[in-house]
Amino acid sequence: MDVLGSLLDGFAVALTFENLLLALIGCFLGTVMGALPGLGPSNGVAILIPLAFTMGLGATPAMILLTSVYYGAMYGGRISSILLNIPGDEPALMTTLDGYPMAQQGRAGEALALSGIASFFGAFFATWGLVFLAPLLVKVALLFGPAEYFALFTLAFATLGGIASRNQAKAAFAAALGIGIAMIGVDGQTGVPRFTFGEVHLYDGIDFLVAIVGLFALSEVFIFLEHRASGAHKGADQVKIGKIIPSWSLIKYCTPTMIRTTILGFVAGVLPGAGASLGSFISYSVEKRLVDRKGTFGTGDPRGVAAPEAGNNAAAGGALVPMLALGVPGSGTTAVLLAVLLALNITPGPLLFTQNPDVVWGLIAALFIGNFMLLLMNIPMVSLFVRVLMVPPRYLMPIVAMVSFVGIYGISGSSFDLLVMVGFGVLGWVLRKLDVPLVPVILGVLLGAAMEKNLRRALTISDGDWSTLVASPLSITLWVIAIVGFILPIVIGPMIRRRMAIRRKDEEGATVD
Amino acid sequence: MKLTSVARATVLAAMLGLGAQAAYAFDPESPECIAPADPGGGWDFTCRQVGKSLQDLGLIPSTMQVVNLAGGGGGVAFAEVVNKRNDDNDLIVAASSATATRLAQNAYPGNSMDQVRWLATIGADYGVIAVSKDSEINTLPELLEMIKTDPSSISVAGGSAVGGWDHLKVLIAAQAYGIEDVRTVKYIAFDGGGEAVTQLLAGSVQAFTGDISEAKGFVDSGDIKVLAVLSPDRLPGEFDAFPTAREQGVEVIGANWRGFYAPGDMSDEAYDYWVEQIGAMYDSPEWLEVMQANGLAPLNLRGAEFQEFVAESVANITEISKQIGIIQ
Amino acid sequence: MSDRVFGGIGVVLAIFFIWQATLIQESFIQDAVGPKVFPVIIGTVLGLSSLYFVLKPDPEPSWPRFGGLAEIGFAALVMVIYAMALPELGFGISTAIAAAYITWRLETPPLKAIIAGVSISAGLYIVFRLILGLSLARGPLGF
Repeated sequence: MDVLGSLLDGFAVALTFENLLLALIGCFLGTVMGALPGLGPSNGVAILIPLAFTMGLGATPAMILLTSVYYGAMYGGRISSILLNIPGDEPALMTTLDGYPMAQQGRAGEALALSGIASFFGAFFATWGLVFLAPLLVKVALLFGPAEYFALFTLAFATLGGIASRNQAKAAFAAALGIGIAMIGVDGQTGVPRFTFGEVHLYDGIDFLVAIVGLFALSEVFIFLEHRASGAHKGADQVKIGKIIPSWSLIKYCTPTMIRTTILGFVAGVLPGAGASLGSFISYSVEKRLVDRKGTFGTGDPRGVAAPEAGNNAAAGGALVPMLALGVPGSGTTAVLLAVLLALNITPGPLLFTQNPDVVWGLIAALFIGNFMLLLMNIPMVSLFVRVLMVPPRYLMPIVAMVSFVGIYGISGSSFDLLVMVGFGVLGWVLRKLDVPLVPVILGVLLGAAMEKNLRRALTISDGDWSTLVASPLSITLWVIAIVGFILPIVIGPMIRRRMAIRRKDEEGATVD
Repeated sequence: MKLTSVARATVLAAMLGLGAQAAYAFDPESPECIAPADPGGGWDFTCRQVGKSLQDLGLIPSTMQVVNLAGGGGGVAFAEVVNKRNDDNDLIVAASSATATRLAQNAYPGNSMDQVRWLATIGADYGVIAVSKDSEINTLPELLEMIKTDPSSISVAGGSAVGGWDHLKVLIAAQAYGIEDVRTVKYIAFDGGGEAVTQLLAGSVQAFTGDISEAKGFVDSGDIKVLAVLSPDRLPGEFDAFPTAREQGVEVIGANWRGFYAPGDMSDEAYDYWVEQIGAMYDSPEWLEVMQANGLAPLNLRGAEFQEFVAESVANITEISKQIGIIQ
Repeated sequence: MSDRVFGGIGVVLAIFFIWQATLIQESFIQDAVGPKVFPVIIGTVLGLSSLYFVLKPDPEPSWPRFGGLAEIGFAALVMVIYAMALPELGFGISTAIAAAYITWRLETPPLKAIIAGVSISAGLYIVFRLILGLSLARGPLGF
């Protein structure tokens, strides 16, 4: 077959000693940067661009290095999510929900290994999707106009209920707070500043990384300080690491989840303007709706770890589809990769596959290689990662705090951002105390602006006719899913909870698996 | 390659530049370039590319340190340079048309273009106006006529915010065509040219305004039709096929230039040094390759000439922004 | 009680947000929706959800006693000073001091805390500046 022949040619390009070495370096650095709070895939790739240039790499090796960093960062983000409850980067946000509870139950090793496998699963099949479906999927991306994007974002928020909090009102509050924060800055549609109070630093809005690192990492440091003062701190010696290799039955148990979320994440990645965060988010919330009959999601359910990891890694692969086939970045990271391609005298776009087949297929082959490398690197390294938990908190927490500051300052060079981050740290501490979930806040910050923009684009195009929002079959479908996803838990939720309460009384001590 | 007047001026300047290279009254100790945005954007690339080229060509004594200072669409860096580093001789800052646009629209509160010294350009990306391949519209006047008769029938997509450069280009064209109230032109802002082109292909919008580098891939594949390039003359090489707006009777030129400014109190020796070094880099065959790779067209303005050019474009943008009501 | 106070603050915040939204200066160029509508909708959701906790509060969380609050307040203050001092003192010195402070407050003897602070600062400098090549704040001593 033609495609497979091209892929073999690609492997011939990628399988040189130099390229393999670059992939190894990229995977390693990417994993490290993904794990460090404040550095994620997009700035991780951007940081290494000068390295690629100073090494004088050609187009294919440079792309191999940088996409390995990209995939590595997608793998690495989960490590701090699981071990420290601090998402290493934005797509790893959802992994905190079940990953950290698993670690607290002494199953950190298992959670890390399982999430590594899920990451591999998602990325591996997404790369196959990229090979066979790219031309087809480009057409899907073209079905999404502003109205459809708005429906998609609404769907994401409508299915939010119940994630990470028992109190729906608090989840709604958190999401609204996040979206409100996203409104800060110069409004792209009219050019007027909003909620900036004349402060020029606020004109670009608040960077979501500042919000994530403040809300999660710094608030964690505050929690430790508080517990120390009240004398009730948890000692590091209580942390158990547990099994390093997940049992075969556990993997099998999670496989249906991984299959479903890989597909969902991949599709979300393909849509420019949706991206990996939305991929992992939708994967988690849809999976929770589908299989969480006992209400174990959020308390350390392994499927809750597998779902977002397979989803976000599949989305990373999906995001390469519009980048390579249309020249349109589907995420911040692919925007950076695109800039690199341009600088290397390669114009991504509809003709890339025919004009530069060696670059495209070499890159795809490199993705396969990088994936296997990451799996091989990550599974044995699990035992190394979990040692982080054995560092006493009195040393670990200052490191977490300082890494957060350096990560943010190193990218933006702005003291103002650091001040905002401290503000988010205090806010995060208060919200945690009050049992307000932090995840919806971040999702609001991440997706709020895009949601508003698409609403306004759609209505501007239609000259203010609101019926444009439900004018296509696709948008109607998305709205129906959103409404069902919003109403169903409100109606059925209490029913299930009642039935469960009865059952729990019947079979005391029943476990999940 | 045609020897245009620009190229001839380049050769002349190159000779002058080489002559001057022997002795400097100034040598930077630790050259630094501020990119007023996060890594990965256009300004970051300007700093890194130029820093690398300058070093490769031996034009600066040590590695150029690139510092990212994001915020306020470049306003934070501008304020930092004016307030804190006003006499720094080792410092240059990446700038582009966006910098001039924001200065013109008072988007850097309390700052103006004459607080810094403008060094030189390193090239430009000319604007294009395009439609999808299936569109019935074939020329720029046809498109503008449709906007004139029924503004709501045409949505124009671009990659910059309202009042930004992509938007202004269409408005200037509309004004040049004789559309009285350019505010009626329906402009939809997207996050970057790529997203805007996608929406053109998806059929959500009818026209696209952007830079030639953003449109190139889609032109090659035959997905979009370029109605006009906003350059003074037809561009060299493969871009030769695109008609200019001028030759269709619409007097509009839109160049998204890239270049540098330096602190306002930089010494004259240092200023001359930087102008000469950047100029010498511009004249090298290596830089020609970089320009081609990045889809940059020639635009070679140095020192006083560049200062004047920026002043002029700030004045122009102020004027049009006032007319459309972005500023009072 | 905490939830009621929190809900009250939320309502005030929502009102402030909506009030600020109505003050947004509109330019002459106007899209169909305008810059105010969406913030007003979000402000309303914020307000309604806050009202909900005023009416139906959750059980009281355990607030730290005064000592704990002071601890957090001081740590936040140190972080603020750190952020402001960073461009002046440079990365090395400010990071060492801030890291030493936090280590010390987490029950480490002062001398060990200082050693930890210096090592954290040096370690981060190596990773972020020397390996990743990020530009960190340069102080009078060059690091």
